[in-house]
Amino acid sequence: MAASIEDRFAVETELLGLKLLPGQEANLRSAYAVLHEAIAVVGADYPFEAEPAHVFAPAPSAERRR
Amino acid sequence: MTASDPCFLSIAEAASLIATKRLSPVELVRAYLDRIERLDRTLHAYVRVLPDEALAAARAAEAEIAAGRYRGPLHGIPIGLKDIYDTAGVATEGGSKLCLGRVPAADATTTRLLKQAGAILLGKLTTWEFAIGGTAFDTPFPPARNPWNTERDPAGSSSGSGAAVAAGLCAMAMGSDTGGSIRWPATWCGLAGLKPTYGRVSRAGIMPLSFSLDHAGPLTWTVEDAAIVLQAIASHDPRDPASADRPVPDYRAALASPDLKGIRLGIPRTMFERDCPASGAMGAAFDAAVEVLRSLGAAIAEIELPPLALYNATASLISRGEGFAIHEKTLRERPQDYGALARDRLTIGAYVRASDMLQAMRRRMMLVEATKTAMAGFDAILLPICPDPAPVLGELGPYFDNRRPMYMRPFNLTGQPALSLCSGFDDTGLPLSLQIVGRHFDEAAVLRIGHAYEGATPWRERRPLL
Repeated sequence: MAASIEDRFAVETELLGLKLLPGQEANLRSAYAVLHEAIAVVGADYPFEAEPAHVFAPAPSAERRR
Repeated sequence: MTASDPCFLSIAEAASLIATKRLSPVELVRAYLDRIERLDRTLHAYVRVLPDEALAAARAAEAEIAAGRYRGPLHGIPIGLKDIYDTAGVATEGGSKLCLGRVPAADATTTRLLKQAGAILLGKLTTWEFAIGGTAFDTPFPPARNPWNTERDPAGSSSGSGAAVAAGLCAMAMGSDTGGSIRWPATWCGLAGLKPTYGRVSRAGIMPLSFSLDHAGPLTWTVEDAAIVLQAIASHDPRDPASADRPVPDYRAALASPDLKGIRLGIPRTMFERDCPASGAMGAAFDAAVEVLRSLGAAIAEIELPPLALYNATASLISRGEGFAIHEKTLRERPQDYGALARDRLTIGAYVRASDMLQAMRRRMMLVEATKTAMAGFDAILLPICPDPAPVLGELGPYFDNRRPMYMRPFNLTGQPALSLCSGFDDTGLPLSLQIVGRHFDEAAVLRIGHAYEGATPWRERRPLL
């Protein structure tokens, strides 16, 4: 993994095959930094020994059918 | 504007006159069309006005009512639809060059339900590009302006919906809300804006932005009008997989109680005092609103919710990921046809990794549970919508929600019903607002509280001077 957020942005942009328009790179680089702030806030702290996680929200229609 | 201007009747008032044949739907539509002709060159609330179709529908409504076939309180009422709502035979372009000339073959479910209720479509309303692009000047349609001060932003993404209802250019407008896009323009335009519970109102035929966060709902002048509209559009729809198959209560009947005795309200004060402090005017209006609700008999206590930043970060990852999933193909093939703001705000979703998305989904479930726990024993919670009144048009930056986060996204994440309503005006005459958030599928309580507040305050007596 590249060291700085700028480097990571450049590497990921290439891996994703995104062709950026003139002027777009600077905006996206800022947005990328904001995105990574959000990723840090959400966290990745799920421990192996934890209770099962639940990530599937059933559609409201499945909860109570007439 | 005059006190007797039919364009400033609430839906409830106009319906009462139409039902008793004291107001003609044709006259009402003509009054709105005249006003649109006069004012919309400045406000840019509409992208397309349908005068011939609206007048034909009004004549049909009038004939039907004269023949004794009155359908209910939306019969003969002129409305507008955000231009992401499909309308059969009428262009629906999402505010984007990518969709210019796109004419749907079928109505969105909500469009169909509103027509069935007798509502008359005046036209399609300005939207931020694909409901995300921001106040942009490089898209096919100019941005809408705020009727309370045309130099100010009306907010978005349902920008035309907010501007049109506040200016008296339609009696009601539909919007969509992925992170606040009904409630926010309702706030800055001084209206009632209702984001119903996720699943309560179908999204079929509405351009999607985020599968699990999108909601459809009305912007109206009064809370009672929001109840009238919700009654017409709340139903199970097999075309929307998230649509709830639940009984629909009588929302207007829920407004009958003149007070709030027995209602318990919680205030998550740290969210708007510590996490992102509301401005002085917004905070003062909120505190005054709380006292009004207390005087109506509500019991009020403070509650603690998880940090605002955690809700907003979680919602942001999910909406970015889902938005990119929807737009990836066109972003890769025709990026130059998006406005810069929409292009950037959608493209950033490409960088959300699968593990980021899953962590956000996991966190979402935890936040839903934490919110439910914090609300136990309460009928609703109260907080502002956003920290500040409307800024000058064009001053919102591309990532404004990170500089001054707003208080709406938590309830897109949890799917709870949330209502914004006017709670006064600042020193410059810009509207301030209050948000009422209920338990899932308990729109009736939210509407009851909002209606009681509205009846106890003078804010519905003031209209923009245009």
